[in-house]
Amino acid sequence: MTTAASYLSALSQADARARSRADSPTSTPALSLSSSVTSSSEDTTLNEVDRENSDGLSLPPRPPTSEQVFTTVHTEFGHCANEEYRSTSRHPPGTAVPRTVEQEPPYYVLFFTYISYLILLTFGHTRDFVGKHFNKSRYNHLMPNDGYAPLNSDFDSFYTRRFKFRIDQCFSQPVTGVAGRTIVLLDRYSPDFNHTQLLTGGRTRGLNISSYNYLGFAQARGGCADAVEESINRYGISTCGARLEGGTTDLHILGEALVAKFVGKEDAVISSMGFATNSTFIPALVGKGCLVISDELNHASIRFGVRLSGAQVRMFKHNDMKALENLLREVISQGQPKTHRPWKKILVIVEGLYSMEGTMADLPALVELRKKYKFYLFIDEAHSIGALGPHGRGVVDYFGIDPSSVDVLMGTFTKSFGAAGGYIAGSKTLIDHLRVHGHSGAHAESMTPPVLTQVIASMASIMGIALPSKLSGSELETRHPGPVSPKLLPQWINLPPALASGQEGNDRLRRLAFNSRYLHNGLRKLGFITYGHSASPIVPLLLFNPGKMCIFHRMMRDRQTPIVVVVVAYPATSLVTSRVRFCISAAHTKEDVDCVLRACDELGDLLDLKHGISQSERWTIEEITKRAVELSHM
Amino acid sequence: MPLFAFGATNSSLTALEPLFTFLTTSLTIAEGAFNKIPGSAVVLRYVKSSHQNDPGRTILELILVIFAIRTLLQSRTREDRNGNNFIQFTPKEVDELVDEWTPDSLAQPLTPSEQADLAAVPILAGPTGPKPKLINGKQVTNLASLNFTGLAGNEHIKQQAVETLRRYGLGSCGPPGFYGTVDVHMALERDIADFLGTEEAILYSQGFSTISSVIPAYSKRGDIIVADRGVNFAIQKGIQISRSTVRWYDHNDLKSLEQVLEGIEKERKKRKQPLTRRFIITEGIFERDGAMVDLPKLVEIKMKYKYRLILDESYSFGTVGRTGRGLTEVYNVLASKVDMIIGSTAIGLCSSGGFCAGSHIVIEHQRINGPSFVFSASMPPLLAVSASEGIKLLLSKSDMLEKLRVNIYEARQILDKFDLVTIPSHPDSPIIHIYLRAPNDCPTSSSFLHPFSSSSNTKPSNPTSALPRDASTWTWDIEEEEHLLQEIVEEAQSQGVMITKAKQLRGQENVEPRPSIRLAMTSALPPADTRAAVNTVKAAVTKILKRRK
Repeated sequence: MTTAASYLSALSQADARARSRADSPTSTPALSLSSSVTSSSEDTTLNEVDRENSDGLSLPPRPPTSEQVFTTVHTEFGHCANEEYRSTSRHPPGTAVPRTVEQEPPYYVLFFTYISYLILLTFGHTRDFVGKHFNKSRYNHLMPNDGYAPLNSDFDSFYTRRFKFRIDQCFSQPVTGVAGRTIVLLDRYSPDFNHTQLLTGGRTRGLNISSYNYLGFAQARGGCADAVEESINRYGISTCGARLEGGTTDLHILGEALVAKFVGKEDAVISSMGFATNSTFIPALVGKGCLVISDELNHASIRFGVRLSGAQVRMFKHNDMKALENLLREVISQGQPKTHRPWKKILVIVEGLYSMEGTMADLPALVELRKKYKFYLFIDEAHSIGALGPHGRGVVDYFGIDPSSVDVLMGTFTKSFGAAGGYIAGSKTLIDHLRVHGHSGAHAESMTPPVLTQVIASMASIMGIALPSKLSGSELETRHPGPVSPKLLPQWINLPPALASGQEGNDRLRRLAFNSRYLHNGLRKLGFITYGHSASPIVPLLLFNPGKMCIFHRMMRDRQTPIVVVVVAYPATSLVTSRVRFCISAAHTKEDVDCVLRACDELGDLLDLKHGISQSERWTIEEITKRAVELSHM
Repeated sequence: MPLFAFGATNSSLTALEPLFTFLTTSLTIAEGAFNKIPGSAVVLRYVKSSHQNDPGRTILELILVIFAIRTLLQSRTREDRNGNNFIQFTPKEVDELVDEWTPDSLAQPLTPSEQADLAAVPILAGPTGPKPKLINGKQVTNLASLNFTGLAGNEHIKQQAVETLRRYGLGSCGPPGFYGTVDVHMALERDIADFLGTEEAILYSQGFSTISSVIPAYSKRGDIIVADRGVNFAIQKGIQISRSTVRWYDHNDLKSLEQVLEGIEKERKKRKQPLTRRFIITEGIFERDGAMVDLPKLVEIKMKYKYRLILDESYSFGTVGRTGRGLTEVYNVLASKVDMIIGSTAIGLCSSGGFCAGSHIVIEHQRINGPSFVFSASMPPLLAVSASEGIKLLLSKSDMLEKLRVNIYEARQILDKFDLVTIPSHPDSPIIHIYLRAPNDCPTSSSFLHPFSSSSNTKPSNPTSALPRDASTWTWDIEEEEHLLQEIVEEAQSQGVMITKAKQLRGQENVEPRPSIRLAMTSALPPADTRAAVNTVKAAVTKILKRRK
């Protein structure tokens, strides 16, 4: 406990320092362009803090040997040459899909969690009551004022004002630079209890295990970025219009063909925003008289789209295939409510990888059910595309299932490809229907050329580009997943050999698979409660108590090697299961994962977070870092 | 007989004797055990006091307890399971029903005309601009792309974008709440707020998804939205998802708006309803026809009736006003008088994304409650920088807007005198919609009068319906006109001018908009080229219409 107390006093001192520093702007330029000082072939984003390497983030722990050549900047994409630290993301064929068991914490943890919320609730209501009577001016926006109803009723905003507001320093932290292996935070402080957040002008570089950068394509240097630069010079920034109203370029056509090839579908349509992919295309898939069966944890964009479609919605318990089957039997036999007419069609919407849970859809079971109950299957691969499967083709690839057994494959480019936007892939008829009847085609701006180029370049480097000499006509076109024919790429894209051969892409996939399993199993062996599948790059670590979110976030950031984490609570999770969510990336090295595990180990003891496996089964942190390879195969 | 009966009873009583003793003893034991439970006395006292020698009261209490238990135990999907509508099937019957059921196909194949339209969508080979090249190698004059101030292909912006790329990479890789707020996003928000003169602004990553997210962030079930009948598709979807009470007023008719507001106020007073949030939603320049709203009058009405104004300036931001600040600049209205200004950095600044500008309280609320802000990754940094540079250019090079105005004027000079079409757009609107003049249209009827705006002396339309009262009198045949317009578009393209129909989602709109061709003016073309291009369009219309007759 003494450590905690001393830590807290150190925190307040740091706060005081930050405040005093606020007036004097730092002399370090934002991201000064400077010549290379490390062994990395080209890196220009280093600033003075990096050169010191006091945080251990800017330079690899071991200088590279003469035969090792790294083409990436270590702060963006870590240097890791050890071939042992690789693994393959694949469901072992012939084995059952593991049931996700959510471990329960001891009762006292739940008890104190509820007590915390109770205290917050009581304080909140008391403050609201007193404030509204004695300090009216500060509550004006919550009360009818001058004939206007309040924009925001005090009841609706209670949670935000009285719960989230207290821990606002964990959210919306401004950053700068590349969201790669490390990220640079703009330091800030609040002089008035989070009402305003002021930037101090200081910067902190931290190890980034928060961004959706699964394959590490968030890079300002390298083949993809070079291609993007070329595309800006050739195409400009924007195409200035919707797809059907003159905003289509040849790049869009190539990009859509490439995506279709990548996921193994006939055709695909691209949208300029991931959220909008669901919210504007689902209404074109279903309508009145149709039923959507949706997993209870589906993303907000799916709900948005379904609500706009006018279709009926039923939900089933998260990932519970038994519940789904029961529901299917009920809805098909009962038909539409009241009239009992048969449904026009039933669309089951699930996510490949759930962004808050790290759980995977039980695809083999879903495909079986689909055969039996004749529903259409829509898989939102927003997080899983690129991140799962031996070839990075998502959850379909992970389970080794033919893409033709899924009707609609949706995904985004924000996560694994380091770009933005999303796609829907399916049969030619379906996609043409969506092009004309989806809201995006006629009204939304089309994807911009730089973003498209990033998608094309990163996707091609995962697939690998077939050498023209080896092209043998039809054989190549049908094989999935195979290298992409150069004909599907713009001629001016010139990827460096490592990317073009698909070797680096493959390396990234295997590094991600290793890192995910190592982090996940390592945390479990340390005694933490984690959710989700061990192959998932999303690793939620359960904190339960709302107060611990804030302190965990803070203590991770204030370490010698700062670690930047995301903490999530209600309403993104259930009330008691507040958690920290790690998003591991191929850009991380094994040492980075060690660093995270070590930090978690220390904080876990300090904050009493280890409620998972029993004391006797646990490993020490030294044992874990030593037996990392073994852990990754568990 | 009675004796026998008594005897029987007596004997049965003696036979039951052990049972009674057992009952009495067990009752005593139970009572003792009950008394030992802490708090049992309280329960007993409560039962006694509530009983008060009246069995009716006890029964009532019992019923209440049972009801409470039943309510607690009922599953959430009770209306489906226990309702009168639920039919019990045996598993075998269910299997049969499952076997029998054949769903519709997931997507209907396109109709031949839809297919032809899709195939005719122009595809650019290379960058967009005033004179882009099509994929068939042909160079065309571009009156289709929304490149109003000619920012597309601007070398300075391109250079800034490349520099940003080299500092930030491409994607932001996260939603704004989780390390997706990059300093360039904050800078652009600041730039927009300063440009318009509002307290703050919030950035969304797609223009189209901005307003459909802004509306449901504030307006919930029970709130009142008063909207123009001609609002664009995104607003319609935003209104739909908000589930608020909607009242419609005639397109761009502020008298009709006042009538609707009066009606709502009267109804509220009559029913003594509580004060709820009330919004007026309309567009600055309407996407559908280019009409422009009379902002000073609108603000006056909004102030008078105490509504909040949500103004969609997607097509007026960056295109009208001396420096492109939009309608507030055209009419010299303070931007703070409009509660929420929604604009598009994709349309006005040739980048990507959209924004909402307003007061601190308004914007802060969206940072937590705007679905497509919270749940979506923030826009790529280089696009944000491009938009910021766009604003700087608007401020420093006002001749871009001057050139745009000249081109609009030149185009209208030709089109207004052309008697085969009607132009519903405002003379300053950078988008010009062209309707084919229906055969029975009076040739001299005012060409600015939009078909939606009913004449003022008739009975007002029903505010609860999106359809105006005179919808039945519309004479145009949508399919026929769409077809004709498509032919005109293709004819113009073969003559070297790229134009487009205003694409509509037929069957999904509240009111089917009249088919039109939408010209987008650009300052990147010299006036002579604009004149030539518009004359080509005019010739194409004449040619196709002649062939018809």
